[in-house]
Amino acid sequence: MNWKFTSSIDLLARAGDAGLGLCDYLVKRDAFYAGTSEEAIRAELARRIRITRHSLDEGMSRPQLSFSGLTVGAAHSLAASANSPVADEFFGKALVYALAVNEVNACGGKIVAFPTAGSCGIVPGVLWAWRDARSPSLGPDSRVFQDAFTMASAIGMLVAARATLAGAEGGCQAECGAAAAMAAAALSQLMGLSTEACIDAAALSLKNCLGLACDPVAGLVEVPCVKRNAFMAANAITAASLAAAGVRSAIPFDEVVGAMKSIGASMPASLKESAEGGLAVTPTGLAVAQRIR
Amino acid sequence: MPENAPTLLDLFGPVMIGPSSSHTAGVARIAYLARKILKTPLERARITFYGSLARTWKGHGSDKAAIAGLLGILPEDERLAFAPEIAQREGLEIEILSDYAGPERYHTNTVVLELEGGDERLRVRGSSIGGGEIRLKSVNGFQAELDGGLAAILVLHHDEVGVIAELASLLAAAGLNIASLASHRRDKGDEALIVAEVDGAVSSRLLEAAARIHGVLDVVHVPSIKS
Repeated sequence: MNWKFTSSIDLLARAGDAGLGLCDYLVKRDAFYAGTSEEAIRAELARRIRITRHSLDEGMSRPQLSFSGLTVGAAHSLAASANSPVADEFFGKALVYALAVNEVNACGGKIVAFPTAGSCGIVPGVLWAWRDARSPSLGPDSRVFQDAFTMASAIGMLVAARATLAGAEGGCQAECGAAAAMAAAALSQLMGLSTEACIDAAALSLKNCLGLACDPVAGLVEVPCVKRNAFMAANAITAASLAAAGVRSAIPFDEVVGAMKSIGASMPASLKESAEGGLAVTPTGLAVAQRIR
Repeated sequence: MPENAPTLLDLFGPVMIGPSSSHTAGVARIAYLARKILKTPLERARITFYGSLARTWKGHGSDKAAIAGLLGILPEDERLAFAPEIAQREGLEIEILSDYAGPERYHTNTVVLELEGGDERLRVRGSSIGGGEIRLKSVNGFQAELDGGLAAILVLHHDEVGVIAELASLLAAAGLNIASLASHRRDKGDEALIVAEVDGAVSSRLLEAAARIHGVLDVVHVPSIKS
């Protein structure tokens, strides 16, 4: 069997050659590389999905306050707010959950990097919101839920293979941008769209994160990272909505990732996780850096 | 472009203590591998951060992560946050430096660990390439390529005929498949370092046998950080 791929076209061909769906193919591939069984891979997948829920519950249980003072329980505030214009339970929860998970990360709690720590709230936020608001039978041990996390991973794997997932190399488009694309595909999967439509949802999402700077205030994974997790959850839901309506991305996913790579390469170092540009060097950003030093 | 995409569990992970996969988890993994390469008990460590890491290590807890790795603590372990206190209790001397520029060939997330214990000195350079994935790039000045996904054997030897062949035979006899094998020498007839990644667990008997190969000066086992 052929286990190598660096494009979505390759990946679909490999899975097709194996007579498997994309998610089953990827689980089998992990079992091959780890020298273990597919059951063992699925058990570890379930364990990690469970940890994303622990992070979420931790973030929801009390306002998360970081030592820098930059993270002050936004998830808690949003969940308690009576002023939200968002009426839909799923959409509202996705925003809150994405914040909650990422606030736990900002405060040095335990999370699953997905694909990175600074973007770890986006996929779990969207998927657990769907589960809580729309599909309560889903859980870490259900195949459908595991497949959604696997579909998200597939998109991340393709971004890693064709470009980068490091903010220091590609800016935030490589982290929160990749995570939004991952969440878009995973949500599309839960909504029952075809694999091709899921990948197209990822393209729609990623196109709208291109060029995003990584300019963290004081070099901390807090501003703008934490709140961006909620914004990117909204991006992912928009993309999945379009994909579900049959709207196709004019540029195919693999090419969007190529564009992401070249944009990342041409971005200045000051906007790639160096805390030397953008928000980090605003008067307020500099004052924060001064205060916590 | 790499020849292959990462695995599912590489992408959906690591499980880690926040806040940064590349600047916290990746750094802990590099330091963990470096500690495994040092054979004596660790007494002193100098940690130098380069590039993006030099600029942001304070906010990302990269210092705690590096110290944690040196104590054998991996990114998932909650003790990571208290690593400096543990190191102090254990009497380790730790120095942390930032080098904003660094050599141009260095990846932007580079950390160099200089470790001392007893008579041993070790210098390891590693890069954190995103999402917690890492690459060790050099060991004591020898070029090395390790990502920690598989167990590895490092063999320091005199540059002479037959060492690699004998090592390969030992591995074959032990039923271990070689996933990658590289050897680099300082100069013709000088010291050389073999780095071999294998599919499976390495026994202490195998390591002892490798140490008895003619010309071999030292053998180190580096376990996988992912199993």
